[in-house]
Amino acid sequence: MSAFLRGVGLIVALELKQRVRGVAWYVILGVFFGLIAVVTIGVWVITGGWGTSGGALFSSVVYFVLLLSSLISPALSGNAINGEREGGTLATIQVTAITTGQIVIGKWLAAWLASLALLVVTLPFLAIAVGIGAVSAATVASSLAILTAELGVFAALGVGLSGLIRKPLFSVVVSYLVVAALSIGTLIAFAIGGAVTQTTVTQTTVESNYSVDGSPLAGCAAPSTSTYSAPRFDLYWGLLAANPYVVVADASYGDFTSSGQPNDLFGTIAYGVRQAQIPPETERFDDYCHMNGNGYVDDRPTPQEAMRSGVPSWFVGLGIQAVLGAAALFGAWRFTRTPSGRLASGSRIA
Amino acid sequence: MTQYPPPLPSAVPGASAAPAPAGIVVDDVRRSFGSVHAVRSVSFKARPGSITALIGPNGSGKTTLLLMLATLLRPDAGSIRIAGIDPVTEPHRVRPLIGWMPDALGSWNNLTVRSALQMTHRMYGHDRAASAARAEQLIELVDLVELADRPTRVLSRGQKQKLSLARALTNDPAVLLLDEPASGLDPVARIELRELLLGLAAQGRTILLSSHVLAELDEVATDAVYLDHGVTASTEAVARARATARSWRIKALEGAQLGPALEGIGVDRARISTDSQGFSVTMTDEADAAAVLSALVAAGTRVTWFAPAAGELERTLLDLTNGDSA
Repeated sequence: MSAFLRGVGLIVALELKQRVRGVAWYVILGVFFGLIAVVTIGVWVITGGWGTSGGALFSSVVYFVLLLSSLISPALSGNAINGEREGGTLATIQVTAITTGQIVIGKWLAAWLASLALLVVTLPFLAIAVGIGAVSAATVASSLAILTAELGVFAALGVGLSGLIRKPLFSVVVSYLVVAALSIGTLIAFAIGGAVTQTTVTQTTVESNYSVDGSPLAGCAAPSTSTYSAPRFDLYWGLLAANPYVVVADASYGDFTSSGQPNDLFGTIAYGVRQAQIPPETERFDDYCHMNGNGYVDDRPTPQEAMRSGVPSWFVGLGIQAVLGAAALFGAWRFTRTPSGRLASGSRIA
Repeated sequence: MTQYPPPLPSAVPGASAAPAPAGIVVDDVRRSFGSVHAVRSVSFKARPGSITALIGPNGSGKTTLLLMLATLLRPDAGSIRIAGIDPVTEPHRVRPLIGWMPDALGSWNNLTVRSALQMTHRMYGHDRAASAARAEQLIELVDLVELADRPTRVLSRGQKQKLSLARALTNDPAVLLLDEPASGLDPVARIELRELLLGLAAQGRTILLSSHVLAELDEVATDAVYLDHGVTASTEAVARARATARSWRIKALEGAQLGPALEGIGVDRARISTDSQGFSVTMTDEADAAAVLSALVAAGTRVTWFAPAAGELERTLLDLTNGDSA
């Protein structure tokens, strides 16, 4: 086993030296640092000063790392294997004692490590957010752990596809499409699904009786009935489970204000998904007449209370992504194994 | 500078013993890519200590054959044994024994020559110190000392070729598979390569190399495998081709008087031809040539040049190709 890990370590070292290290990479990290600073100022302006909670800043920075890495990771990892083949160096590794498994895993770990550099650059800003207060240790731990896992999934998809697809440009594009399908495609499918699957809601309303001059009369008006249609998002919320942003939110929502409102983007998004799980009531009854005098009573649960009743989904989403990433890596291993059997036409070995 | 004979390349510094001898046996191997039959039927043996030339025109299947020997490609049929081991079923046992020099000039662009060689050596499971020492030896051996700390992307074609050769020699292989090793090398480097190969073969290694420069192979190759359209020429065909009459070039101080002199010793006029270089005579075999030479000298002709007009390999290849088309 240690011999296996030694080989993996060699590939990681080679990959970091050969593909990642270089001026361009430091420029990207510098630009990224600048962007995070801009985001920090933006969040400060939007929320009108920090107040007592760093939750908004913390969650924004975490999401920004997720966004940037989903834009950078496919370019970094999407040609890891076929790019090396095009360069004529993959075969020179394969004739040594290094196995195909070591090559695939080493390249995956290297791509993962490289994208984690983005997270390291943001640490000062995350520290500022935690310093402002009201960001719990649990939120910090879970959001960073899930973020790290998401970066690992992106890296696995890119490296896996680079082994499955012969042309580097094509595999980079497909890597982008897969990451986009998870990030945006799930959202679009969710919206479209809800919109085309409508259900009819029957609304019955009891109003008070009013005189012509507006003074209340005794008794209530006869109940009036109307119908309208409502989208069935509850049928499609599972699509959102595989969304990386939802996975991070659903695992990290712990912080609420004293009035039970979400303290950060995680809570807001997780609450939105939990709300989507609730099927619309098909029979609604509102009695404004008998409420008279008591005023309007908001007896709906607060978001904090609502979160207790919904179905948590982050592990399902992360599980789906992990299966996708593992399948891509496994496919890459099968396609890259030597001695090669069947080959796509026009492909070269060395 | 490279010494002659070159220092023994060895896996571990201090240990200079050559690896255990390992031969190559290829039996009726074939491989196609879709409808393209790159290798149709190749059979040959290469024994330890020999330098076997793989000869054939472009597209004759040389590179495909070398890829199969280098454990990278699976033959569709037939068998390969390297040191008695099947590279298809046990590639991990064959890989430490072979050194493969591809025809493609790939190198890790951002690594220096030294770190690229160290990295390759470590990929065979050696530790950091052993790899550092081995890289130094190899850099000396292929004469890249001045470029050792430069990134490999700045190397010229010939220098990359040297790096590629050094990489093939990294694990002190018993079997060397070299695909066009001399292409891009300057004349001095070619001579150094030749000396290096002769030295390596003398240590009992098996060397298989392909090249287009037949004159060059003539000087190093002890055996030859002729490939055409993915098929090895049979031993009989090669023997027949070698037995056919060939042209010998003759020069003498007498100049144009050489013609009458040749006729004077009884050489049929039909066997004599002239061109801008002088006289050529068709000889049925080497005994015939020796007889003509001794007769010429006995007749008082001052012969300065008496040699086959074309190299052995070139002539055999041409005869084989002509035999096919006839």
